[in-house]
Amino acid sequence: MRKHPITEVSVAAVLLLLAPGYALAQAPETISWGLRMENFSALILFVVFSGVVMTFIRLAHGGRDLYIRRIAGLNAVEEAIGRSTELGKKVLYVPGIMSIDEVQTLASLAVLKHVAKHTAQYGTPLEVPNKDPLTYAAARETVKEAYLEAGRPDLFNEEVVNYVTYDQFAYTAAVTGKMVREKPAANFLVGSFYAESLLLAEAGQSTGAIQIAGTAEVAQLPFFVTTCDYTLIGEELYAASAYLSREPVMLGSIKGQDIVKFILLCWIVLGILIYTFTGNTAMHDWLLSQ
Amino acid sequence: MYKKQFPLLLAFLGGAIPIVSFFITTPGDRLKVTTDTLQDWMLIIAGAALLLGVVNLFQINLRKISTRAKGWPNALWLLLSLVIAAILGLADAFDTSVFGIWGGDVAFQWIQDAAFKPLQSTMFSLLAFYVASAAFRAFRVRNVEAGILLSAALIIMLGVNPYAVKILPFLPDTTNWIMNIPNAAAQRGIIIGAALGAASFSLRILLGIERSYLGLQKGE
Amino acid sequence: MDMMERLMNLDRRWLYLLVGLAAVIPILAPLNLPVNVSKPVQDLYDRIESLEPGEIIMVSFDYGPSTGPENDPMGDAIIMHALARDLRVVIIALYPLGGVTEAREELERCVGDLDPPNGQIESTRFPGKVYGRDFIYFGYKDGGLAAMRLMSDNMHEVFPADFYGTPLEEYELGREVQGYDDVAFVMSLATGIIGEWWANLVNAQFGTPVAVGCTAVSAPKYFAYYRAGQMFALLAGLKGAAEYEYLVSEKYPQLADITDSFIYNAGKGWDVQSVVYSIITLFIIIGNVAFIVERRRQKRGM
Repeated sequence: MRKHPITEVSVAAVLLLLAPGYALAQAPETISWGLRMENFSALILFVVFSGVVMTFIRLAHGGRDLYIRRIAGLNAVEEAIGRSTELGKKVLYVPGIMSIDEVQTLASLAVLKHVAKHTAQYGTPLEVPNKDPLTYAAARETVKEAYLEAGRPDLFNEEVVNYVTYDQFAYTAAVTGKMVREKPAANFLVGSFYAESLLLAEAGQSTGAIQIAGTAEVAQLPFFVTTCDYTLIGEELYAASAYLSREPVMLGSIKGQDIVKFILLCWIVLGILIYTFTGNTAMHDWLLSQ
Repeated sequence: MYKKQFPLLLAFLGGAIPIVSFFITTPGDRLKVTTDTLQDWMLIIAGAALLLGVVNLFQINLRKISTRAKGWPNALWLLLSLVIAAILGLADAFDTSVFGIWGGDVAFQWIQDAAFKPLQSTMFSLLAFYVASAAFRAFRVRNVEAGILLSAALIIMLGVNPYAVKILPFLPDTTNWIMNIPNAAAQRGIIIGAALGAASFSLRILLGIERSYLGLQKGE
Repeated sequence: MDMMERLMNLDRRWLYLLVGLAAVIPILAPLNLPVNVSKPVQDLYDRIESLEPGEIIMVSFDYGPSTGPENDPMGDAIIMHALARDLRVVIIALYPLGGVTEAREELERCVGDLDPPNGQIESTRFPGKVYGRDFIYFGYKDGGLAAMRLMSDNMHEVFPADFYGTPLEEYELGREVQGYDDVAFVMSLATGIIGEWWANLVNAQFGTPVAVGCTAVSAPKYFAYYRAGQMFALLAGLKGAAEYEYLVSEKYPQLADITDSFIYNAGKGWDVQSVVYSIITLFIIIGNVAFIVERRRQKRGM
């Protein structure tokens, strides 16, 4: 493929530089460039985090083998789809109730692509009911592309990815109704959920479906853990796309994130030790001022 | 370039501008104004996307009605409700009456009070039953971890029971200790892990490494 | 199938039936079960009791009808407590799906019917308390975090007029409240994430004391904020509402009379919840006894 002479990064950089230029043009007499000191601690963390993650992405790009621990829920995805295929029943995928600006929804769409590709390959019916219109639009494109990649674009129709309603409980009523009437063999509840999490999971459990859930909503995790066969907890949801695709660059970012977690853990322990043995609250007071 | 690279470029800009404005001040704080404008644009786009969703609703349900598929009366009722609520809602928004009979606000408020609120409360109340059945099924002493889970759950449930507290007066303090110490610690651990996971995922999207939400593969 | 197996595999509909009965009977025949007050709730009560008459508090209705049974009694109790203490109350709503209606309904439940544009401004339940001077409803504002940020020193840009459309400048209380510095604290009656926004933004960045009344399902998460001092008080679910209602009713018998006149209040809800908890606990214990007996029997049989 012919490479365009101006790369997208250059275009982005030019556009980004236009923003301050626009700002200067609006208020040329008051120059107030500066650092927001109240967010300085966040800046330090951002720089450290980005630096470590980019380093590991580079290492992965260079061919270094990176180990990621086994995540049972993600290993069970193919098992769940296979079970649906054997039983001749559909796979139901619920991508959460929040919009596309929620990171969990984006992570869910990454898992949806993987699930859609496999259902297309096996010829298993898939249904993706949506609560948010933007998520519906994105999910539709994701599934369409997945079916195309699997070589089965003929299997896609308007009912595969559908929009239900914007109201939380009306959506829940519709989806639980589908679960009870149509009895899908596999339910995927992946994304951001609130009060409807237990309603969906328990309704699915009552139909005997294999259920794989994933969310970073801490309050909803207990409901998923008690009602679903597998649960992706917090960061496991965000690691799903990297784990399923096994792309070295994405695995590198997971590794980098783990290293930053370790750094934060050391910092917390250091703070505890300093405060316990010296009573010094300087770090604590500075963080409170942020 | 435009079908595949332009969305990535937009994603990069959409993420980079708010990040920069979070750390750096600019003359007239214009970058922050730009960030706020981007958020407003998102609301506008969401409104437009709602139209897409409604079109899909009509497509699917009209097909069900025309082919007399199983459950077609429900599809008919869905579409009728949608149209009626839309007409009454618009009448309320524009402060007009419907067919010169009902005040728009009265009719729409009636739908809210007589139908919407009771139905919402009904769905929410199902949680009480589902919590009972989930607890009965899940809290079994299958292994050590399940035993610890069961013990914590029993202590907390008994700790808020007034009669159990009379028999075992230490229960409320134990309940508060469990909520304030191990529970808070576990919650914080999960929150920190999830936040770092979200940050890593967001960085991948920003850099264009993560493209699945666009339906793109690696190398595309 | 013997008794133990039957108990272990009990049809869930029996459980639903018992839970349904447990939910209905205490509403019809209140049990008036005792309530143990916890520190997070006591902290809110003590804070209000420590304020001087005339000080202003802000109550934000950040929930919709679905969590009304948990959050409504909290709103009732705090508004009535504040008015009984001669504090002044500013009410706002930030929740998009029903928050504006919940705020108006709870305000009118506490003070009596209002129609300020047509001159009906005095409270029938609290004689002498007048809309615009002792309490005011700013209305609903979209935008969540953005609105909270702007409210810090630019309240009138976020709420130029009250719920009834009258410019805030025309009311004494409206003129006095220009930002968070003019209120003693903010009480958020929240569902979901909005309470966290108050703690993370308004308390952390502007130093305004924040208390939250949340649903029981969110309570474990909010305890972390309470422990960290980002909230000075926490009403956790219906139990928290019942504890606070109890404290307020004990000190102000006239408020107990008002609360008792409601068809539903936190006390009745707490009766229901206590009975349902007891049934669930009983079934968990029965289920585990059956499970252990059956497992031992299988081991002996092996």
